[in-house]
Amino acid sequence: MCGVGRSILFTLPMALWTLLMFTPGLLKPGRVEHAAAALTAAFTVGLFFCMIRTGQTYRWRRIFFVALGWLFPVGFIAALIGLRGSMSIPLERMVSGDTPFCFMVTPMLIIPAALTRTVVFPGSILPTPSNPHSIAAMIGLWLAMTLVLGKAWCAYGCFFGGIEEGFAAMAKRPRLRKLDERLRLIPWAVLLAVVLLSAAIFEPVYCMWLCPFKAVTEFPAVRDLQTAIQFGVFVLLFAGLVVVLPFLTKKRTQCGFFCPFGAFQSLFNKINIFEIRFDHNKCTDCGVCRASCPTMAITAESVGQGQALMNCMKCGACVDSCRKGAAVWHIKGTAVGLRPERARLLFLYGAWAMATMFGGSVIANSLATMIHFVLPR
Amino acid sequence: MTSGLHWQVVTEALLLGLATGPVCLATCGPVVAPWMLAQPRGVARQLCQLGLFLAARLAGYLLFAVAAWLAGEAVPQAWQTRGWPTALVDLLLAAAMLAWALGWPRSGSAQPQESKLVQIGAPQPGRPAAALVLGFCTGINFCPPFLAAGVRAAAWNHLGAALVFFLTFFLGTVVWFVPMAALGLVRRSAALVAVARITALLMVLWYAGMGVVLLAGEGFRG
Amino acid sequence: MRHRILSVLGYAMAAATLLVALLVPFKLMGGIASLVSHAGLRIDPVYSGGTPLRTIARNGYTLTIYTLVRPHLLQRGEPFQQVVFAPVSALPTHVEESIDMDGDGTPDLRVVFDVPANPATPLRASVQALNGNYQSLAAVSNDSFTRLLARTGNRIVLRVPLAKSN
Repeated sequence: MCGVGRSILFTLPMALWTLLMFTPGLLKPGRVEHAAAALTAAFTVGLFFCMIRTGQTYRWRRIFFVALGWLFPVGFIAALIGLRGSMSIPLERMVSGDTPFCFMVTPMLIIPAALTRTVVFPGSILPTPSNPHSIAAMIGLWLAMTLVLGKAWCAYGCFFGGIEEGFAAMAKRPRLRKLDERLRLIPWAVLLAVVLLSAAIFEPVYCMWLCPFKAVTEFPAVRDLQTAIQFGVFVLLFAGLVVVLPFLTKKRTQCGFFCPFGAFQSLFNKINIFEIRFDHNKCTDCGVCRASCPTMAITAESVGQGQALMNCMKCGACVDSCRKGAAVWHIKGTAVGLRPERARLLFLYGAWAMATMFGGSVIANSLATMIHFVLPR
Repeated sequence: MTSGLHWQVVTEALLLGLATGPVCLATCGPVVAPWMLAQPRGVARQLCQLGLFLAARLAGYLLFAVAAWLAGEAVPQAWQTRGWPTALVDLLLAAAMLAWALGWPRSGSAQPQESKLVQIGAPQPGRPAAALVLGFCTGINFCPPFLAAGVRAAAWNHLGAALVFFLTFFLGTVVWFVPMAALGLVRRSAALVAVARITALLMVLWYAGMGVVLLAGEGFRG
Repeated sequence: MRHRILSVLGYAMAAATLLVALLVPFKLMGGIASLVSHAGLRIDPVYSGGTPLRTIARNGYTLTIYTLVRPHLLQRGEPFQQVVFAPVSALPTHVEESIDMDGDGTPDLRVVFDVPANPATPLRASVQALNGNYQSLAAVSNDSFTRLLARTGNRIVLRVPLAKSN
């Protein structure tokens, strides 16, 4: 816990950053846009203040993240319908490079691009009037944020993860408790499989066949048996991995047990300076941290080694749930348990700056869309 | 077979193998990569295992060479496009990968009652049979260069020429597989082996799906 | 001593991460995007249709012939060649064209389709191959990336697959 005065002091830099990030939004024409930007700015700054004041990270971060995940489809779907009248993307649009680029396809593009300098995605390299989400722009955004966040992208940046985190938060207790630890290895297998297959058939296999979030964003227009099967798979995976299983297990089952991009993002944890560590002097091996981790990134073995696994997304659940203060924020190279609050603060400044910059703008945009929908123009 | 014919066969086959090797690698990669990652570490060991795999693949090639020559110039249309023979091979490959990935417990082995998921990643004794079966299945997989070689081999008026053609074509493609031995440098762990086997299970779904779709007569178009 | 150095380095890296975070929206994002856009990458021709080869002028509109596109490795789809009719606003309501695709002076395809006033109405064309290089298509619409007749903005895109022997 931090005193109010100190909390305000520590929040000030974030408030300034937020003002800087939302000034363009505040300058947009329209009172609704101003209101949405102001509301979102207050929301993100308020949550940061709460994180500092209470010393807790996870529950405040989760509020932001669930808001991002649930509001993103609102703005995105509205934009699609405004642009082409439908969530489905017809072949004509793909051929003219109008498919908005999604960061999740990135690992599948690498080998084909290295071999032939072609991008196996029906988008456009540079932004166009009908497709501002160009490949260059989105890769620029994702990679820049990843240099700061590492795998924490999955807890502070990804606009899909909050959907299932919301469903996971709904149930008071998990109904399915015994989960095999090897489930956390599936994302790596999915990554390897889609990378190999995409390199073989020069198609983004995950996007064409396996992405659950196609059900709430956009998907190839259903016009024959193949596209009907694809759509069916998307809906089933969404229902299972994003809605039902998170509700039953209180885990982020899509993120932790399926998403190949999450596995890919885990690689960046190797170069990120922040991590979660376990202080052996304080740990009593009660297992609360393991139970609290939404993606099973903590095992008994890893706690014994004093660290979380590579797929730790630094959501703060284990730190907040540890009653002995054994789970701590840590800067690599420094002593474990020595001033963990400093490590946490330094991490949060960077992570929340990214969250505000990107997720905040998405939330503001979606809020404006909703307000426009409700209020007469 | 005259020496002139011999050199003509060898040159053409070698060039075809070298030129289309990447396609063979792309076809076999999804099968080979997970399997090799589940093998013990060490480049020399990987080369041995790869050698077994490729030897079995060669056996498949030569078997097809004989069949193609017997069929003569009129190689059936079904063999030239991705028709029912391709579907059957895809299903056979899926079955072989499933058997290997799940690693049916032998009698007397530990924990036969535990779920297959728990067994994935558990240390497995070396299974040369897996290398041979997977290699053979990929050997008779009707990938485009394989079909091109088959059509060409069938045109030779001499069984020996057809066999030499396929052997040389095979050697040309092997050049592209050798770098895969570098997977032996990757540090092994139970987790890596588990990932490899789960990947194989996903490939089972892919090949089985392709096989069923082809049998149903619906080619998935681009 | 070693611990101290590592600790200093750790904090320095943490500070550097914060600095990088500050630079993300102002320099870094745009810089990386610029690098990507100048990396010489292009959209896979199966999606983009290839690169323009030459343009044939007609009465108020043009036909742009694109390069042949052959799928990579095991990529699904047939080899094809794309023709673009533009602008749609200048096209007659009934289009009948004999198109020389390979520039040898001899027409290779005969294409017939109607241009509906409503852009949302699906297009349908009959394509007759005048030699053995292309496939004839009885009623091509938006079947696949390699067999296609589609309106995209103010253009009509036609993709004709090559004959199986090619």
